[in-house]
Amino acid sequence: MKNVKNAKSANYLQIDHIIKKLLSEEGVILRPSPEAYEEFEDIRRYLDQKPEEGYMIWIKKQIKHPINTCIAISSPKIHQRLNNIVIVESGIEAEMYSICNAVKPVLCGVHEGYTKIILKENASLKLRHFHKWGIGDEVITTSEFILENGATLHSSYKCISPLKKLEVGSLAVLNSRASANFEVSIMAKNEEANIDETMILEGDNSNGIIKLRMISDSNARIMSRSKIIANGAGRGHIDCMGLLLSNDSIISSVPEIFTKNKGATLTHEASIGKISETEINYLRSRGLTEEEAINLIVTGFLGEALIH
Amino acid sequence: MSEMLDIRSLSVKVNGKLILKNINLKIKEGEIHALLGPNASGKSSLAYAIMGLTDYEIANGEILFKGTNITHLPIEERVKLGIALAFQNPPAIKNVKLSLLLKRISKEKPATLPSFLKELSVTSSFLEREINVGFSGGEKKISELLQILCLKPQFVILDEIDSGLDIINLNKLMKIIQERLIDNGVSILAITHRGDILQFLNPDLTHVMLNGEIVCSARDWRKPWETIVRCGYEKCEECKERELLTD
Repeated sequence: MKNVKNAKSANYLQIDHIIKKLLSEEGVILRPSPEAYEEFEDIRRYLDQKPEEGYMIWIKKQIKHPINTCIAISSPKIHQRLNNIVIVESGIEAEMYSICNAVKPVLCGVHEGYTKIILKENASLKLRHFHKWGIGDEVITTSEFILENGATLHSSYKCISPLKKLEVGSLAVLNSRASANFEVSIMAKNEEANIDETMILEGDNSNGIIKLRMISDSNARIMSRSKIIANGAGRGHIDCMGLLLSNDSIISSVPEIFTKNKGATLTHEASIGKISETEINYLRSRGLTEEEAINLIVTGFLGEALIH
Repeated sequence: MSEMLDIRSLSVKVNGKLILKNINLKIKEGEIHALLGPNASGKSSLAYAIMGLTDYEIANGEILFKGTNITHLPIEERVKLGIALAFQNPPAIKNVKLSLLLKRISKEKPATLPSFLKELSVTSSFLEREINVGFSGGEKKISELLQILCLKPQFVILDEIDSGLDIINLNKLMKIIQERLIDNGVSILAITHRGDILQFLNPDLTHVMLNGEIVCSARDWRKPWETIVRCGYEKCEECKERELLTD
């Protein structure tokens, strides 16, 4: 239902390889990325080659509403190779909702997405990226963020429906006074998931947080690496938490911090465990069933319960 | 008055260790009972066993609630029957707002919640906090009572509802317990260490628990209380004045 609503209000809607909707608004240039590559020299500077498919969103003026994108797979065996680019001009505050999904559970599609996001000086972007796939789908989603001086990014990625294979990766470069907060939440069931997040604190007074929330259930395997490198005198923190819901599932979490700058401060914390029986009992003592109690704890763990 | 809770010869084990021994306790409809005892004597364990928490294995005996045998009933089924427990140390549930839980569990009309908040002198922003995350001792008690009120129970166990509360908030809580629970005929088992709570509740029966056993049950709470204040719990078992009520 949420996806349908999102499709209706989408600025960009792509199903399989066909663009169904392209709706610009005042102050925003929206193009298919192959067209944008031909049309704008600036875009050619950011992309190595002409994309096959995807979107370009260039936010030039302050916008009142979030920009919505929706990319879906609706036919069997589709292989999407998306190349998206988003530019937010200096001083602009923007918000984006991005949904990628399969409309049926067993389409066995491949969704390969590379997104480059450039936040110019003092620009700000809140990006919420939701994935909902079927059990036969394979997904590789990679993002690259460039934050110019004073830019702010809050990025959250969630994939809580089971699929065959998931690879999530991002690289963010933060210049002076830039600030980034990354949240990646994954619930894996009978699947293989790899997470690879890297943040480079290039400029002084930059600060970044990587927050990973991983739930592994029913023979799932989640391998995660998260790294913050401080070249400038910045502050960074990695926070990785994993929940195992079954004995046949695996979570591996490797947080890494690196600096040669004595003005930098980098910290990390990581933990993996099972759901506390005390918490389940407590919620059951309020009338919830065991399943309802676990669901509430899990949604809380993934940060969903705060949204609701 | 008909029987609300009837515990018969109950023995309970946790991790194979016997922690409650041959407990007999009858609480009638609308009755207030107090349970005293030193730390680790088994008071909270009795509360958890009545509630059916999973670590508490019934080694012997049975628990009846309004005539129904609930000895092996799941926790949530006991809640449906009208049993509620205000925890002494409730766990934190990260990232879940108190408002969300109250909405999920409430048998009260949504309009009732603001009046509860007003009576407890808490703002609606309190509801937007994560359950028990960073709550002070007093805030935990307010949150517990709020949840209990939303459940509209018929029998409530208050496990040290007074701990961590200043006198002003304690009086507020007691006023609400009186008006919302006692005046509505709700039966109460209050676990406490404080005389002023006993004075306020004026229980129908006061029990003393030592080493997992109820060693004294008195109609006048002052008798065991004065013995405890005067001589300590260790003298309870030897106390000449102790009563053991069988019915």
